Amino acid sequence: MSPGRFTGLVTVAGMLFLWLPLLVVVLFSLHTTASLSFPFDGFSLRWYERISESPEVRAAARNSLVVATSTALVTLVLATLAAYGMSRSRSRWRAPLSLLFFLPITLPGLFIGIALLIAFSRLEYSLSLVTVTVAHLVYVFPFFFLLARAALERLDPALEEAAADLGATGWTIFRRVTLPQVWPVLVGAACLAFALSFDEFIITFFVVGPDPTLPLFIWSSLRRTIDPSINAISTLLLAFTVLLFVVTFALTSWGERRRRGTVDPLVLTGAQEPR
Amino acid sequence: MSAVAEPPAASPARAPAPRERGLRLGPVLLTLPAALTLLLFLIAPLAAFAVYSFLTGSLYEVSGPLTLENYREIAQSELNRKLARNSLIVGLLAAVSSVVIALPIAYWLRYTTSRTKTLVLFLIVASFLASYLVRIYAWRTILGAEGVINSGLGALGIVDEPLTFLVFNRFAVTLALVHIYLPYVILVIYAGLGPLQPAYLEAAQDLGAGWVQRWRRVVLPAVAAPVGSALLFVFVLSAADYVTPQFLGGTASVMIGVQVQVAFQGTGDYAGGAAISFALLAGFLVCYGLVALGLRLARLDRLRFAS
Repeated sequence: MSPGRFTGLVTVAGMLFLWLPLLVVVLFSLHTTASLSFPFDGFSLRWYERISESPEVRAAARNSLVVATSTALVTLVLATLAAYGMSRSRSRWRAPLSLLFFLPITLPGLFIGIALLIAFSRLEYSLSLVTVTVAHLVYVFPFFFLLARAALERLDPALEEAAADLGATGWTIFRRVTLPQVWPVLVGAACLAFALSFDEFIITFFVVGPDPTLPLFIWSSLRRTIDPSINAISTLLLAFTVLLFVVTFALTSWGERRRRGTVDPLVLTGAQEPR
Repeated sequence: MSAVAEPPAASPARAPAPRERGLRLGPVLLTLPAALTLLLFLIAPLAAFAVYSFLTGSLYEVSGPLTLENYREIAQSELNRKLARNSLIVGLLAAVSSVVIALPIAYWLRYTTSRTKTLVLFLIVASFLASYLVRIYAWRTILGAEGVINSGLGALGIVDEPLTFLVFNRFAVTLALVHIYLPYVILVIYAGLGPLQPAYLEAAQDLGAGWVQRWRRVVLPAVAAPVGSALLFVFVLSAADYVTPQFLGGTASVMIGVQVQVAFQGTGDYAGGAAISFALLAGFLVCYGLVALGLRLARLDRLRFAS
């Protein structure tokens, strides 16, 4: 039963709808003049040169790198432990924990951002890149957790049982049996966490201190003058995110293919609710 | 956590199942660091946020005792009602449009035998990760008076005056929100179609069902639950959005999220902002209940497929 022509046409239209606006941004990042409208006067790299010389852009990019790297690393540890614990436990705490670990996806960023803003102000903890990292940790946790748990649950239990029968203890089993099977998925999920953190704006806006991240810098530029240098930053951001996604996808599908022969890319988006 | 700490087995014959023996401490303990982190940095802050909505606010301050005054005040405010209505309309429009566009795409993805399927999946997930602000910016440069559409139409001699109905209104906000959430909705519905084998559709066709009947009696019941959750997801995130309306909305289409953001970063009315937030959250919970109830009444919440 092949789908009809209508659904094929909608799919093509849908892809154009998703990508044309982004391609317009890329196109005008290469514009010779400061204009963001037609007629298109020719290509140049001057806006890329300008942003590469801007100390503000460099500082913002550095801040984003620091935050995204810390977020990804801390999430890697916390969410891997949590996912391993959940997938190997039959405790009655599983249901409430599942709910807790999934909660940040279901809450609009506005709530997470303001709740943390209130918490930090009550604790009299001044806003900085640390508070941004904490916020991002909460935000990206469920994405990593779902991906890691799905991978861990698909493992063949016989291998870990065999290791236990041969006398290996918990940590040894994890390090010598479990980890070699799932590390590509975990690294891929860390890349996804990095990408999500690198792009986050809605929550960051409330908990950012004096040092802006890249999305914060874009936001403040949007409120001043709009010129193709914003397009250039956006294009680099886009390219970077897509690249990270390719790495994530390659690693997770490779990791999964080694296990099962198939891969489910959906879990990347947290599209599957925990059961 | 009483069940997790098992004593070491005394003799091999009485050994617990190998998996438990491997992790004597109890695997659920491994979730502790993450659980504590989320309790500390999500649940506790949300609780404090909720308490703010019952306190008396002054400029950038809140103080006791507990009161319902904030809720009474926001319920009586004409402005809040208007902003909530705008949020409701934009949220519904965005949610319904995304689902309507996503359904045929998800259907194509599920049943196509074309080799472009992987490419399309890639394009969808990659665009899902494309920056939120960049998308809003893209639509601003496309729809604006000096934007790509107007300058393009002008250069082609189709219009003399720029079209002003494109931006700074509900339409522009909805368009950008659909653009932001469409990839997610496609993926959720696509996942929902997973268990619906092509054989079911072939059987329906063999029994004489036309495409309308196939959609109504086979496809839609199968995706009712994922469609419900996608509707909720887009509705909640769109209705609570505070950035898109600021860049693409007009003065007549300001949304309730903007009011909350301004309360916390502009006017300093923390208590009032908190009350609006939790009224909004209560509204979302009602929507969630309605969708769950609807699915249950239609007996679509526990649909299972034989494989």
